[in-house]
Amino acid sequence: MTAIALTTVLRRRSDVRYRLIEGEAVVLRQSAAEVLVLNGVGAAVLDLADGERPVAEWIEALAREYDADAETLARDVLAFAGELREAGLLEEIVAEDPP
Amino acid sequence: MTFGDGFLRFPDLFPGRRGGEPWGDRTLVLDVAGGPYRVTGLSAAQEEAARHKFGGLCREGEMAAEVAVQVFRAAPTDFLDRDVRGWEYTLDRDYSPGSVLLAGLRLMARIDWTPALAGGLWTSWSGGEEWASVFENYLRVLVAYRLLEEGGAMLHSAGVTDGTSAWLLLGPSGAGKTTSSRLCLARGGTVLSDDLNAVRLENGARPRLTWLPFAGDLGGQAGAQAGYPLAPLAAVLRLKQGTENRLRPLSPATALAGLVAAAPFVNHDPWRRELLLSALERLARSVPAYELVFSLDGGLWDILKTIPS
Amino acid sequence: MSLSRLVATAWRQNLLFSVLVELTYRCNLDCFFCYNDLGLRGEPMSREQYFRLFADLREMEVMNLTLSGGEPLAHPDFLALGARARELGFVVRIKSNGHALRGELARRVRDEVDPFLIEVSLHGATAATHDRQTRVPGSFDRLLANLAEMRELGLRVKVNSTLTAWNETEIEGMFAITDSLGLPLQVDPEVTPRDDGDREPLQVAPSREGALRLFRLQFERGRAAEALAAPDPPGSIPRQPEVARGGDDGTMPAPLHKHCGAGSSGIAVDPYGNVYPCVQWRRPVGNLHRQGIGEIWRSSKGLEEVRDLTVRVKETIDAQGEGGYLLNFCPGTAAVHTGSPFEIYGAAAQRRELLEQVIGEEAGAKRRLLPVID
Repeated sequence: MTAIALTTVLRRRSDVRYRLIEGEAVVLRQSAAEVLVLNGVGAAVLDLADGERPVAEWIEALAREYDADAETLARDVLAFAGELREAGLLEEIVAEDPP
Repeated sequence: MTFGDGFLRFPDLFPGRRGGEPWGDRTLVLDVAGGPYRVTGLSAAQEEAARHKFGGLCREGEMAAEVAVQVFRAAPTDFLDRDVRGWEYTLDRDYSPGSVLLAGLRLMARIDWTPALAGGLWTSWSGGEEWASVFENYLRVLVAYRLLEEGGAMLHSAGVTDGTSAWLLLGPSGAGKTTSSRLCLARGGTVLSDDLNAVRLENGARPRLTWLPFAGDLGGQAGAQAGYPLAPLAAVLRLKQGTENRLRPLSPATALAGLVAAAPFVNHDPWRRELLLSALERLARSVPAYELVFSLDGGLWDILKTIPS
Repeated sequence: MSLSRLVATAWRQNLLFSVLVELTYRCNLDCFFCYNDLGLRGEPMSREQYFRLFADLREMEVMNLTLSGGEPLAHPDFLALGARARELGFVVRIKSNGHALRGELARRVRDEVDPFLIEVSLHGATAATHDRQTRVPGSFDRLLANLAEMRELGLRVKVNSTLTAWNETEIEGMFAITDSLGLPLQVDPEVTPRDDGDREPLQVAPSREGALRLFRLQFERGRAAEALAAPDPPGSIPRQPEVARGGDDGTMPAPLHKHCGAGSSGIAVDPYGNVYPCVQWRRPVGNLHRQGIGEIWRSSKGLEEVRDLTVRVKETIDAQGEGGYLLNFCPGTAAVHTGSPFEIYGAAAQRRELLEQVIGEEAGAKRRLLPVID
């Protein structure tokens, strides 16, 4: 898989169901019947992955909320996004994809 | 072809039991042969439309020995849209030992023996004439089974009486039930119905013709105000239009065949066949049967009155 | 962090997580022991009211939405409601008898609702026994055919059964059927009265021997699976972590200070908008025609009482000692059997007794084979 860049647009895969509880996310990947829990940043990343905004905008949004060092945040977000894609929760949108 | 697939979007979802959400909390008690029939789950509009149609047959308060009918909601999307132009009204039927299932236009219904006879009707009509029609179409079937259960039968027939005796005129569509009824009416007779009548056979007593509120062109309201008349049956007559008025005796076997053919809904039900045959055989043996050839001069009325009662 | 820790945090604060909605009491089968109260009356919920309810539940971060009945597919708006639930991101489960789940309807359920799980009911290993329960001839053959078709379509299915006097000698056969289909089978050893208190279903309650047979078989299958370190059968749902109670309808593990999540993590709704602490505890705590679900959740006196009751039920069960959990006690079932949510009803006491017997047999067998493992 190609590395995730700031311009990458990601969305939750269609079989992902999740809810936010106290800043964490309970996630069910329906196709695998797999339940995961994501902590603060992971939950936030999952929630932001609406298939419309690129990763760069997530970082901006999170920076406002988390009041963290921009570079560290960017690194964490890109890492989390990669992990979530590996875990089958996110997929990249390429130009030809239907909305 | 599976049951209901001409009328229902998803025949697999046909109700397996009398359950669901009623249209409302109104109740109607109908005093019709074989009843009274207690109909529950009606909306105000449904109650109003049914009262309008059945008028004086509606009773208030408690009555004994009821047949319970529950009405439930269905949605228009439960049913297929059908082009009904030029279509003769039919109901899809499914027979089993404990139940009869019905599917029709905006109608799903059950008649169950659990063990007492009870009915369930699901329709998407919340009121009005459409609802009243669906309800009447169901009631016809329910009454046919109820009468059978009581040892009687509902018969496609013209029923005419002079107040003392009654005559049952049988024949398929076009045989002259309405015509002969009009002729009797013109001569001063009373027409119970030119379409459907009920025969009651109580043990030891003479079979009696009972009025039903299911008329073709004639009858209908005749009994509504008076309660329903019970006139002893003098004869069963198979109609044939001709140029003269003449009676020809029929054997009980021939009479029985004609009676079975005239018993709608139930005569196709393999599980109630024995019951039907035994009821109609009793009838065929207890009143004389004739072929009645009749002309349009109205002389059939005189002929009827010559039959010993 | 672990799922159970997160969930424990959530439940201390009474965060609603799972909702079961009985859409209609119409059904295309006629099971003898059905628990529905068919005499219940009220104003049915409209489609718009259901949409409003789902939107409110979404806002409350409810995750699990189970559609039930009667037969939920018989509700005229089933597909629209299911699709809306999917759009709102719920984990949708459907409790269906499966009788109509074939052909176009099954495809539409998959494509428009995309449920996480469909739970169907099997009542016997033979047509005679299964159809005896459903009272619709041909339903057994239809169910088996539909199960095969659902798997072909990629629908995830779980099979539920309730042990009865009629099927208690067919349990091995029922497992054989579901094994051959590659589906999990969960068997509940208890028959309960109807929701209106009618005890007629208890006429088919299983015998002690039948329940023992089931428990032994379940232990044997558990041992066999462990011994093989067998993966779960294909198409099955992996074992959920640490479920404190049986009766898995997607309800999350119990809050640690309460006996169960009734009224704390879960609720149930009937076709007339009545809200209950759970599908088994038929004590109405509000009505959606009068109040939104959020308001009911926050301010219902009935729910407040139930939440307190589940704490006290835990104390009662803890006082039963080590084997208390073997009762698989349900306060809702207790209430319908005895009138009190605390009273240990006969079926629970019997379950504990029989499980203790079987555990004893298992321990005896293990001791003969393996060193004791703490």
